[in-house]
Amino acid sequence: MEYVNPLTGLRIDGRRPTEMRHLKAQIGVVSKADGSALFEMGNTRVIAAVYGPREVQNRGQQMNNNEALVRCEYSMANFSTGDRARKPKGDRRSTEISLVIRQTMEACILTKLMPRSQIDIFVQVLQADGGTRSACINAATLALADAGIPMRDIVTSCSAGYLCTMPLLDLNYAEDSAGGPDVTVGILAKMDKVTLLQMDAKLPLDTFETVMQLAIEGCKAIAQYIREIMLQNTKQLECRRGS
Amino acid sequence: METTQTTEGGGGGATGIAAQMEVEAFRRLFPLPFYKRHLLESVRPDARALDSARDTTISLGPVASADGSALVKIGETTMLAAIKLEVMTPSKERPDEGSIVVEFYMPPICSPMVRPGRPAEVAPVISKQLLDVIRSSGMVNLKELCLISGKASWIAYLDIYCLNADGSLFDAALLSAVAAFTHLQIPLVSVTEEGRVFTVSSEQEEKTKFELVNKEKRKLSLSSIPFPLTCVIHEDYILVDPTAEEETVMETSITLVLDTLGNLVSIYKPGGVGLASTEIMKECITRTKRRIQELKTILEESVSVMEVD
Repeated sequence: MEYVNPLTGLRIDGRRPTEMRHLKAQIGVVSKADGSALFEMGNTRVIAAVYGPREVQNRGQQMNNNEALVRCEYSMANFSTGDRARKPKGDRRSTEISLVIRQTMEACILTKLMPRSQIDIFVQVLQADGGTRSACINAATLALADAGIPMRDIVTSCSAGYLCTMPLLDLNYAEDSAGGPDVTVGILAKMDKVTLLQMDAKLPLDTFETVMQLAIEGCKAIAQYIREIMLQNTKQLECRRGS
Repeated sequence: METTQTTEGGGGGATGIAAQMEVEAFRRLFPLPFYKRHLLESVRPDARALDSARDTTISLGPVASADGSALVKIGETTMLAAIKLEVMTPSKERPDEGSIVVEFYMPPICSPMVRPGRPAEVAPVISKQLLDVIRSSGMVNLKELCLISGKASWIAYLDIYCLNADGSLFDAALLSAVAAFTHLQIPLVSVTEEGRVFTVSSEQEEKTKFELVNKEKRKLSLSSIPFPLTCVIHEDYILVDPTAEEETVMETSITLVLDTLGNLVSIYKPGGVGLASTEIMKECITRTKRRIQELKTILEESVSVMEVD
């Protein structure tokens, strides 16, 4: 199957190989949460809600008295994928992604400023069309910013792959399940440091470098967009405060 | 929130407290006296009248991958319902009927009370209530979910996710279920030679070699749609459509479900400190009837908005 049309150079959904899907974000969608955000990358739609810092609920889990405990749970809605047969959480994939998101966000939250407290990040996938991991991390960043939790930098994430001898940015579900490699990168935007890097399938080393560079550029573009959204949100809050 | 000063009587149940307190602190420390002072003026903290419900919006079709879906907001309470249809063999006792499976989820994003280790207590309760109401109201004629009598029929998996829990959860959930069924379109289906039934998407329609079992996509014809209303009672006051704070403070809630023909479908008063006399029940029924008219208009508007698209 040709994922990249040899004549036009376009992918199956009409994008160019280095073009990302349409991004859309909204802050403050869950009023009960301390911070929340809705993030869409094409057809992948994800809600993140942050509760915290609050009291540690499970004393047993509190390892370190000098830092905040960060917890994350990832779950997918039953109707989020094409076929319904799935266990929404507790299955291996969800547990793995929860761990990945938690560790990625832990890298940027200044946990030492909030000892003996707990920060909960809950992510719910409403529609899945590839790149859910990245959308979750982006949504979590916005939600943490909305909750006012101190962070080192904003974390953004994007995926890239390599099909039909072309590096492709931001794979959707069809391209992801094509069997080619899938590189997911998460970076701290301003500091330009990589916090998350995952890859599966085989890839020669120099191609890997190209694909990873492409993904990092995608992350930077998302960081740009996230900054704009946060700026708009702050302007709105300023307006409402009447200053 | 501005700081206003409460005068004498602000201590309420605790005597000897200083008379001047911030309103927010008073609200947290003495919720019942706070509400009592509002009830005496026949108003609630969010400036609603005692018998008016919050702004309700229904939006159909937010989940493109589902066969029918709806997003409902009553005030801040948000519910997302989606229906996915799958083919199954019907039971022998009812060979020409399909079936409906309802599941209600409260993921941890919806409320600070729900934590991963401790799921919400009300979630399975609401799940069961929804199933009972949908079945007993007869809104969906199960015979419409039949494909080939005795061999294949549809099973509709209705999943409702609470995205924001701010009171009146059952109301929003039932409304989203009803809206999702209104939006539901049964897809085209054809049968292979081995007898396997599969759905045909509209692009494949012209190319399919197999005969289509149903000739056109159709919607369900719903009769007697049930609409709910939850009220909380406190002494002689009836507060319609409570927020989460009102539900916890007042402790006694009644949920009534009536259908569009005016029949009573369900009454649910799960104990509670407040006792409801027959007058109060009749009052609640009147309020529910009024609310049904509002909800019917809102649902019809959202359907026509969708059809315009």
